[in-house]
Amino acid sequence: MSALYLRRRITNAVAMSLSMLATLVGLAFLAWILWETLRQGIGALDLKLFTKVTAYGEDGGLLNSMVGSLIINFIGIGLATPIGVLAGTWLAEYANRTRLGESIRFLNDILLSAPSIVMGLFVYTIIVLPSTTLTHGSTTFSGFAGGVALALIALPVIVRTTDEMLRLVPSTLREAALSLGVPQWKLTLQILIRAARSGIITGVLLALARISGETAPLLFTAFGNNYMAFNPMDKMSSLPQIIYQYANDPGDAMHALAWAGAFVVTMFVLLLSLASRLILSRNKVSHD
Amino acid sequence: MTDSALATNPAPVAAAAAVAPKLIVRDLNFYYGGFQALKSISMDIPEKQVTAIIGPSGCGKSTLLRIFNRIYAIYPKQEAKGSIELDGENVLDPGYSLNRLRSKVGMVFQKPVPFPMTIFENVAYGIRHHEKLSKADMEGRVEQAMRSAALWDEVKDKLKQNALGLSGGQQQRLCIARAIALRPEVLLLDEPTSALDPIATSRIEQLVEELKSQFTIVIVTHNMQQAARVSDLTAFMYLGELIEFDQTEKIFTKPGKKQTEDYITGRFG
Repeated sequence: MSALYLRRRITNAVAMSLSMLATLVGLAFLAWILWETLRQGIGALDLKLFTKVTAYGEDGGLLNSMVGSLIINFIGIGLATPIGVLAGTWLAEYANRTRLGESIRFLNDILLSAPSIVMGLFVYTIIVLPSTTLTHGSTTFSGFAGGVALALIALPVIVRTTDEMLRLVPSTLREAALSLGVPQWKLTLQILIRAARSGIITGVLLALARISGETAPLLFTAFGNNYMAFNPMDKMSSLPQIIYQYANDPGDAMHALAWAGAFVVTMFVLLLSLASRLILSRNKVSHD
Repeated sequence: MTDSALATNPAPVAAAAAVAPKLIVRDLNFYYGGFQALKSISMDIPEKQVTAIIGPSGCGKSTLLRIFNRIYAIYPKQEAKGSIELDGENVLDPGYSLNRLRSKVGMVFQKPVPFPMTIFENVAYGIRHHEKLSKADMEGRVEQAMRSAALWDEVKDKLKQNALGLSGGQQQRLCIARAIALRPEVLLLDEPTSALDPIATSRIEQLVEELKSQFTIVIVTHNMQQAARVSDLTAFMYLGELIEFDQTEKIFTKPGKKQTEDYITGRFG
């Protein structure tokens, strides 16, 4: 009896140490990345990073890239959220366990893992090229096109999380509402979406975190701009794109700026993830 | 009862009470895809009495209850044949609107399922779907429903709080308030206390006793003592068939069928 007990304790200790080790390895890399971006970028982390545009080169900052990133991400998430939430709702509530629903769920999963450069090239073909032709070259690359490319990346994430969160809502809640005579559309909009709200918001925030680090889809769409651009029809800079550009530059000062930009993006993503965690844990009580 | 119903169902299941029947079930068969879960059920459920349905797991008692408000219809491949008359109209007729049926037949489920909204809104929600009331009228209706469900005194100071913060027993009484707020004529209770502790259970049982002056109540329960305590009539079901349906006192003291006796004395089930 005690031999068995001892063996179990040893197995437990070994399994526990291995899991902790694995966690530590993962966390160590995260800490290392944060530390390295901070260490390399600290020289450029000053006020002018947030007040000057990239046109000044190594004497400038990244203001236009930050503003551009915000605008492009806003367009992307703004386009993807309504479509994604509606599509996810349809999948979970109207097409669940139907052949069409299963096929679309499968296609959505493929879209989820499509290479992001493909999205960039796709949007280049369907938006950038036609707009160049139509406007005789006065509108070519644009922040809007970049936003659309990012929306295509965020969309499957939002569809997937909405679908899964709604399917987690117990079917008894549906029965309870329907037993009051409430029709399906009211049940879905007023009860189910509300019950799954925190999960859906988390999905949107995670999609935002995902797209704010994307570079490839922006290269052929938003292109980049050394000056401040607020009009979404203009070429627009963004943090990942400027990091890519400055990292390719031979100058050390430009590298420092790229590192500082990387630090800003990483912190932004980290804060978004923390925010989504907070939302989830605050609403944890909802399902016992 | 018609001759054909008698022929297909020889069990003595005719009206067991002197009261007028509220629900008349005739030759009811139910199928989950290819599986027949209910076999030719016929019974008269009397008005403003408590009818308990007992039987071992899988006997079809919840299935039967779920036909009364056609909640089964939300799942594909489930089919009911036969008739259930509510005040003379067959509710299984596709022409009988679900909206109307569900405003007349309320239901409370096994697990308390409050909606993700405030305590007040949980009760007001259903009323708002069926009726347009002024703010004051709505508040009166909600209070009345909560009083009937013996919940008002516990929640009157926190109506604006989230309903998910209530205890299990309170949540279940909230669900009862939500159902009776629509002023239904029939109240279906599907094992309403199986997820509750003994104190909360006894409160619900007391409530059932009080509510039967206003509603026709059908309660499915696993717990035979509960059936004996709260009901006027008891139906015993086994393997999809209605074995015996009679006055509760008779079922528990001198049942007419051997199977019923075996079940209530604990020889199986």
